[in-house]
Amino acid sequence: MTTTSLQQPERMVAVRDVFGIDSDLRVPAFAESDEHVPEIDPVYRFNHDVTLALLAGFARNRRVLLQGLHGTGKSTHIEQVAARLNWPCVRVNLDAHISRLDLVGKDAVVLSEGKQVTRFQEGIVPWALQRPMALVFDEYDAGRPDVMFVIQRLLERDGKFTLMDQSRVITPHPGFRLFATANTVGLGNLNGLYHGVQRLNHAQIDRWNIVATLNYLPRAEEIAIVQARVPVVLSGSPNDPADRKLIEAMVSVAEMTRKGFAVGDLSTLMSPRTVMTWAENCEIFHDVALAFRLSYLNKCDEAERATVAEYFQRCFDLELAESAASPPL
Amino acid sequence: MEEQAARARHQQELEELAAAAIRGLVGDARLHYRARRLHQASRALPVLAPHAQADVDETSLAAFRGAADAMAMRLLHSDWATHQRIRPDTPIARLIVDLLEQVRADAAAPESFTGLRRNLKERFEAWSTRAHNQGLTESESGMLLYTVAQICWSRVTGEPVLEATDGLLEIPRALVAPRLGPHLAGLRRERRNQAAYGVHARAIGQIVEEMIEDYAAAHKEDGAKPEVDTNSIFFNMRFDFALNQAEGFGAADTGKEHRAGNELPAYRVFTRAYDREVAAASLARASQLAQLREQLDQRIAAQSVNVPRLARELKLLLAHPATDGWDGAQEEGLIDGRTLSQLISSPAERRLFRTEHQAPKADCVVTFLLDCSGSMQRHVESLAMLIDVLARALEMAEVSTEILGFTTGAWNGGRALRDWKRAGRPAHPGRLNEACHLIFKNADTSWRRARASVAALLKSDLFREGIDGEAVEWACARLRARTEARRILFVISDGSPMDSASYAVNDPQFLDQHLREVVAREEAQREIEIHGVGVGLDLSPYYQRSQILDLDAPPGNRVFHEWMRLLVRRR
Repeated sequence: MTTTSLQQPERMVAVRDVFGIDSDLRVPAFAESDEHVPEIDPVYRFNHDVTLALLAGFARNRRVLLQGLHGTGKSTHIEQVAARLNWPCVRVNLDAHISRLDLVGKDAVVLSEGKQVTRFQEGIVPWALQRPMALVFDEYDAGRPDVMFVIQRLLERDGKFTLMDQSRVITPHPGFRLFATANTVGLGNLNGLYHGVQRLNHAQIDRWNIVATLNYLPRAEEIAIVQARVPVVLSGSPNDPADRKLIEAMVSVAEMTRKGFAVGDLSTLMSPRTVMTWAENCEIFHDVALAFRLSYLNKCDEAERATVAEYFQRCFDLELAESAASPPL
Repeated sequence: MEEQAARARHQQELEELAAAAIRGLVGDARLHYRARRLHQASRALPVLAPHAQADVDETSLAAFRGAADAMAMRLLHSDWATHQRIRPDTPIARLIVDLLEQVRADAAAPESFTGLRRNLKERFEAWSTRAHNQGLTESESGMLLYTVAQICWSRVTGEPVLEATDGLLEIPRALVAPRLGPHLAGLRRERRNQAAYGVHARAIGQIVEEMIEDYAAAHKEDGAKPEVDTNSIFFNMRFDFALNQAEGFGAADTGKEHRAGNELPAYRVFTRAYDREVAAASLARASQLAQLREQLDQRIAAQSVNVPRLARELKLLLAHPATDGWDGAQEEGLIDGRTLSQLISSPAERRLFRTEHQAPKADCVVTFLLDCSGSMQRHVESLAMLIDVLARALEMAEVSTEILGFTTGAWNGGRALRDWKRAGRPAHPGRLNEACHLIFKNADTSWRRARASVAALLKSDLFREGIDGEAVEWACARLRARTEARRILFVISDGSPMDSASYAVNDPQFLDQHLREVVAREEAQREIEIHGVGVGLDLSPYYQRSQILDLDAPPGNRVFHEWMRLLVRRR
């Protein structure tokens, strides 16, 4: 056991100061950071509701499932909260091939004093259980529902974990926390965006204490995030008003694609991540239209590009090659 | 004729883009153009100002964009209920108040949408130039309306007035400015508050109305013919205000002389005793069918269509990945129990696992419902070729298809009309003919088996009259009985429903109205995607999704690709 496993959060911090959101809440935090604590992103902007939900998870030991469309920064949000609290955090990407053995542990052949011996190696779950650790299951809905029953008991607050292979019962460390992120709420791929997600067992969904939703952000917030993340877009100097205008137009295009997706005109939408990539690509290529093509337009179905070109024209007053106004290629 | 069809198709394409942009701005899936007017579901939306609608003969993208953006801004920034409270009852005042409300909505376009703002500005200028060129500014009252429109637009949006007519405006501006002055300032000040803005707009409308009445009175005293003819002003504005007013902005624009005021009686059928549903193959001798089939095959061969490629593309369009059994002998995955003995006999064998097999699967059924009315006979050879190839390609893509047709058993009412006459010609008899529904291929028959039957399409004596509404109902009922998840109906027609006997004894809108009702009902249920495919004709008055088909296109896959574009639109 390392020393961290004995640690307790010993400091109380004010949410208003640390996260910049309007709340009088105070939450426990660790005094020192260790290797598993994610790095702080100083310009990260916290979403009010989601931050409170995650803080409830950290402070009051609640299991929090964070659901939202792709590219909204669900996992990053958990990481950044953990980073501000100096709470060690490990992300596990689930996929349909993760098996029970990967999570719980398996007998493996190891070298011990020059000899090959078979020894039980703990999986990620028992390992994390025994230390102050926020375990984050990313793409929770990609995990196979039968495998996900491994964590069924852990979802209860004082749930112990039985290692059957070893006849050992692990009591979770008081600093252990469990989070998950998912694109769907376990009802399967309804809108055609998320191929490969599973329909989850609702006896398990029911056990998550808090289900928070992080969908696309209000316009002003998204603009602020992009601006914070990509301070220089085209102008060459940080936080130039021209850049601000540009980002506003970019977010407008993104909003139109989201509405277009919702009404069924498009099958691909721009996530906040795409907007950020677009802004970054602008800096690389010094051309808004080219960066738009490379970051988003080429992902769209050919039949939908004329529509996207219309959106682009509305916001930038520029014609793309796909636009009905351009001569045929 | 050909040029006209090409223009209609071009306009439809532009309209599709315009509608997509409106939906992208407003976020309402029910918005679409139908018969050149923006509809929300089946309700035609009022158009407040002439520049918010592209002119009938307009083919420039800019005009469609500007008109679409104006509509979108109004939907986003203007509350219809509030506006209705503000609107005055007198026509000229109402015209002004409507126009001003649209201008207010235009001015509310957000700064970050630079392209949209430019579209609106250019659209207003284009309309102004056109109105000027068409002589709106030649009459005294027309000039007044024009001046008020220009200065209000300039005041509210903060843009300069149109340069070309700036000089013209000087005198009338000097005339109206003292009277409108305070209200113009009010418009600018209150442009973010619809109700407060409305007070000033009403006042301006009132003043303009009074001024125009004064002109009219002055002319009467002169003994000259009154100059003011509001209708002609509206006409010069190329804008159908009469329609808006008569319909109270409610009912769908039918594209014909039909007013919602006189409600049509519910659809009725005089007698169903002679209605038939027949397998088309039974209508011709086997030898004749073989001959027709050969004719069709020759035509298809001449088209040089790449059917397998078409099938692949259709499959991509319609299929979704689905799990379908297991792949054995994999290097990873779940252990396959059947291979354990193999592990013992050959321990080095690593391919012991199995994974779920993913394959594209099209859970889909497509029905082609062909209008077999007399006028369609001209097109039937091309259509039969198209439908036959599509059915074959769809079958290769594992999509079931039905080919249905509808016509009547006789010309001019047949036995149904005879019975009606014998019954003493009761009023409003309803549909008065022998409806005949043809089945060329049902979904359970393979294309190969139905080959001869499809050729019956070429048999010329099938083509009589058409009762579309009942046929669509019938095809939908057949589709609903299928188990496939996605059901698609293509109705291929070259005109409105036509049955001379029913027309003669009922309201002329009787069959049209029924078709519209049936389609609206089915579209609202969303179980079946109905596409109207117009042969050289815009079917958008009837169908939410429609496409104009160009049968004179050169051979090859192009015409099929156009067909597939219908399927891509997911709405």
